[in-house]
Amino acid sequence: MSRPTSVAALLMFIPFIAGAQTTAQPATTPVGPAIASLQILPRDRSMTARDTMRLRARALDAQGNEVPNAVIRFSRAGGFFEGTIENDGLVRSGSTGTLPIVVSATILGRPPVIERLEVKMLPGAAHHIAVTTAVSTLAIGQRMRYLATAYDSGNDRRDDRVLWTSSNPRVLTVSRDGLAVAVAPGAAKLIATAGTVTKDVPVTVAARRIVALDVTPASADARTGDVIRFAAKPMDAAGKAIDGLTPIWSFSPGQGMIGADGGFVGYEQGTYTITASFGAQSAEATVTLTARDVRRPLEVVGRSPKKRFTTEEVWLHPNGKVAYLGSGSGGDLFYTLDISNPANPIVSDSMVLNTRRVNDLMTNAEGTILVNTREGASDRKNGIVISSLADPLHPVKIAEFTEGMTAGVHSAFVYTQPKFGTHVYATNDGTGAFHIIDITDPYKPKQVGEWRTPRPDAGRSLHDVDVQDGLAYLSYWNDGLIILDIGNGIKGGSPSNPVIVSQYKYDLNDLYRQVELAGGSGFIRGTHTAWRHKNYVFIADEVFPSSGVQGAKDASAGRAYGRLQVIDVSDYANPKSVAFYEPEFGGVHNIWIAGDTLYMGAYNAGFRTFDISGELRGDLRAQQREMAHLNTADMDGFVKNAAMTWGVVVRDGLAYVNDMYNGLWIVRMKPKRGITP
Amino acid sequence: MMRQRALARATLIATVAMGSRLGAQALAPKVLPTPPERTYTIAVASEGTDEISIITFGPSGATIQARVPIGLSATDPDGPHGLAVSPDRQFYYVSTAHGTPYGSFWKLRANDNTVVGRVMLGNFPATAQITPEGHLAFVVNFNLHGDMVASDVSVVGVDDMVELTRIPTCTMPHGSRLNAQGTKHYSACMMDDMLVEIDVATLAVSRHFQLTKGKEMGMAGAPMVLASAGTHDMSGHGMTAPAAGDPACSPTWAQPSADGTKVYVACNKTSDIVEIDAASWTMLRRFPAGAGVYNLAATRDGTKLIATNKRGQSVSIIELPSGRELARIPTQRRVVHGAAVSGDDRYVFITVEGIGSEPGTLEIIDLRTLKTVATVDVGQMAGGVDVIR
Repeated sequence: MSRPTSVAALLMFIPFIAGAQTTAQPATTPVGPAIASLQILPRDRSMTARDTMRLRARALDAQGNEVPNAVIRFSRAGGFFEGTIENDGLVRSGSTGTLPIVVSATILGRPPVIERLEVKMLPGAAHHIAVTTAVSTLAIGQRMRYLATAYDSGNDRRDDRVLWTSSNPRVLTVSRDGLAVAVAPGAAKLIATAGTVTKDVPVTVAARRIVALDVTPASADARTGDVIRFAAKPMDAAGKAIDGLTPIWSFSPGQGMIGADGGFVGYEQGTYTITASFGAQSAEATVTLTARDVRRPLEVVGRSPKKRFTTEEVWLHPNGKVAYLGSGSGGDLFYTLDISNPANPIVSDSMVLNTRRVNDLMTNAEGTILVNTREGASDRKNGIVISSLADPLHPVKIAEFTEGMTAGVHSAFVYTQPKFGTHVYATNDGTGAFHIIDITDPYKPKQVGEWRTPRPDAGRSLHDVDVQDGLAYLSYWNDGLIILDIGNGIKGGSPSNPVIVSQYKYDLNDLYRQVELAGGSGFIRGTHTAWRHKNYVFIADEVFPSSGVQGAKDASAGRAYGRLQVIDVSDYANPKSVAFYEPEFGGVHNIWIAGDTLYMGAYNAGFRTFDISGELRGDLRAQQREMAHLNTADMDGFVKNAAMTWGVVVRDGLAYVNDMYNGLWIVRMKPKRGITP
Repeated sequence: MMRQRALARATLIATVAMGSRLGAQALAPKVLPTPPERTYTIAVASEGTDEISIITFGPSGATIQARVPIGLSATDPDGPHGLAVSPDRQFYYVSTAHGTPYGSFWKLRANDNTVVGRVMLGNFPATAQITPEGHLAFVVNFNLHGDMVASDVSVVGVDDMVELTRIPTCTMPHGSRLNAQGTKHYSACMMDDMLVEIDVATLAVSRHFQLTKGKEMGMAGAPMVLASAGTHDMSGHGMTAPAAGDPACSPTWAQPSADGTKVYVACNKTSDIVEIDAASWTMLRRFPAGAGVYNLAATRDGTKLIATNKRGQSVSIIELPSGRELARIPTQRRVVHGAAVSGDDRYVFITVEGIGSEPGTLEIIDLRTLKTVATVDVGQMAGGVDVIR
């Protein structure tokens, strides 16, 4: 047969031979009445979070009589992070949320009768109120919106509408919704009330009236993407500054953002007016933005196409003359490439291993050993493999470590601390645990530590690890970014005793709502990679729809999505997302940062670079920080003519870019046009 | 490869070798001169490449008709492992081992290979089977991944694709089968040296059986299983030979006889088969098998037991009730995995995983001549297998 034929058509011509196919028959004939319905109590299926509730069910026949031999079972059908239910109907709530439950009644030989229900797990009574507007001094005539939220004793947010009153309306009035107006000098308390709980917010109305207001700088020239900090200086009749006041900031026209701290970033070139307002008093400043003009041309210096398997991680030996390249989709080897002439990378060796994916590989800083991960080994032991790099062009396997890593290792990071030695920081595909393996003696690897997020196993998944300055940055999928002290000392941690420093968790379902709308529920999304740079941690998500485009095939059937976020960790206790990048098409996968440039493998969006100089805030794409783009599609590949750019390693001005579909690209970002290097 | 996603139809190919990815390693199709009189359709799960191969075997040989991608993640392994066809042959079901971290159980329509349902189960869902009346699936949650803790067997209502319950059994529940009557479910506990029986009527463990050589004993009720201390060694998942004198069975498959009166258990470490009387719950005998006996299958006429020998790179055809090995048939590649017998007891379809980048293989053995009559390369790490028609 030389051309594709549909299965349906083929099967039509398969002769059905009566008797040739044994049709299994249940040997047991169901006895007694059939189940017609289920009666489940209580009918009110709401409960307080972190409490327990007993559900009971009876199977009834068509006449409403109980069917005596029915087996009733309760089973959880979702909400795996929020609660559990025992087989017998005991609900144990772990948090607020909704717990979908399946109640089934079975009789041997008959189809089960199933009813789905949801248990609402609600916050308890209001216990305290948190006020999020941190403004304690107002000027006469100033208006300020105060916001507050009610929480129960477990710190679960309640939906109560918080009502506001003023202790002294002659000084400060407030609407029920929290809009305060400073009327006269003096002190007052704004009182937030939810149920029986109240929260006082002391507010002082300054005695001195604002008669003048300055905004500094009065004017500024900058580029799109630069963050300019404005300050408001209210003054009294004597021209003296009134301290402690906070204006409302706004700007027009154009695209950009300004925060409560007066930090402004504009996305488009042009002239913007920045306004600070204290009620009747306001003042303006002017900003003129020019185009950022960071776009630069690219040059493909060298190429090593790979067609037999998909290409996985790339890593460079510290000598800069050797590259290692993993393989996947059944790939049982990694390549060693001589890149001493980047224009002509040559495969010098390959190591065949018992694996079907070498997803990650990395040397130690000295370049004496190489560690690679394994997934899909035929003995299912997987784990990691350690090779000697006595000759970097020809790695020699010297040890492996598989204990507890039978499901496979996705990522591994090799890191040396003089105080603790050299360790491999590895992910466990099966348990989502973080494993720390001492390879100070690379011939005798041994596990010294393990850490995992304190949540039920369901949903725990660890994808990638970055280690810098004794801190491990874990891309923990549903749990977001986790920072562990593994020797830095900030929390007294060590490789054998990792201690959590911080977590930044965000609502992935909300962030990628459009992916669910496009491809249905159950889509792939999670925090995938992290990289520390200055006071930022750059995190990137891996996102794929749960189903492809109907009727499409191969590369046309699917695409990646994803967002890169810039997390400001200057205060570890309060990490906050300050900037982001999201391609219009494609995803965000692995990144590398060198100097003020971020290099990214963006899956379908190809290879991209970004200017990350200065303070970062807002939409990096909109503010024209993208410097270069290469569509790494190639007819010479495992998948032809489609980009699936995985990541990049940067060395000596060259970007070594691996594309999952077609191998290695060696790329140089050239100077801006018109500039001769 | 950016695979066609889960709900999409399969890409169809009409050649035996699995396209260019298998390259030079692909074996040429081999058809011996005893062609079948009808055409069989077989489904094979390839754990290494996240795909199901639909193969026809008929008078003109064995041919791959479709490669059906399965799984959620485009870039991470999903690991299809167990495969079961519904009794009415309208659907087939596939367990995928990996997730975040839990795996799933998928329902596909057999006539067009379209996914019509999925439910998330436990850690590494593996062997699966549908009850004779077609309403329930029993899927063992092998939990190969992490700590050596007791796992369970999921019961899925396949009409609605909802998990009805999980029945706790033991550490690493593995190869499992229902009796032909659909009243009992037997699963092997790879790390606890036990066989567990589930009463389908009550959805509860009814009995268990200690399989360690010299300590064989049947007991009522559920086993008391403690987390295995200290080691994650699982003998290379049946590939590592045991130490000399090791009496541990390390059971990997439980296969009821055609009439349900006996249960055969493959002891992977001791390389023998334990025959248990289902009524008295006592051991009748142990008889030898090939090295690393792994999966079992029985003919419906009750005359043959087929055993895959994982370490022995062979398949044993064992005569019942004598227990005599009629033939030991070598396989072309290593890591022999699954076995499924055609509905007419004429052929047994054997999956061979291969190692590394070797393709997986479906080897077809004629149960009359006891010869391999066809082979076809499929995706790497071929494991779960069942006969659609």
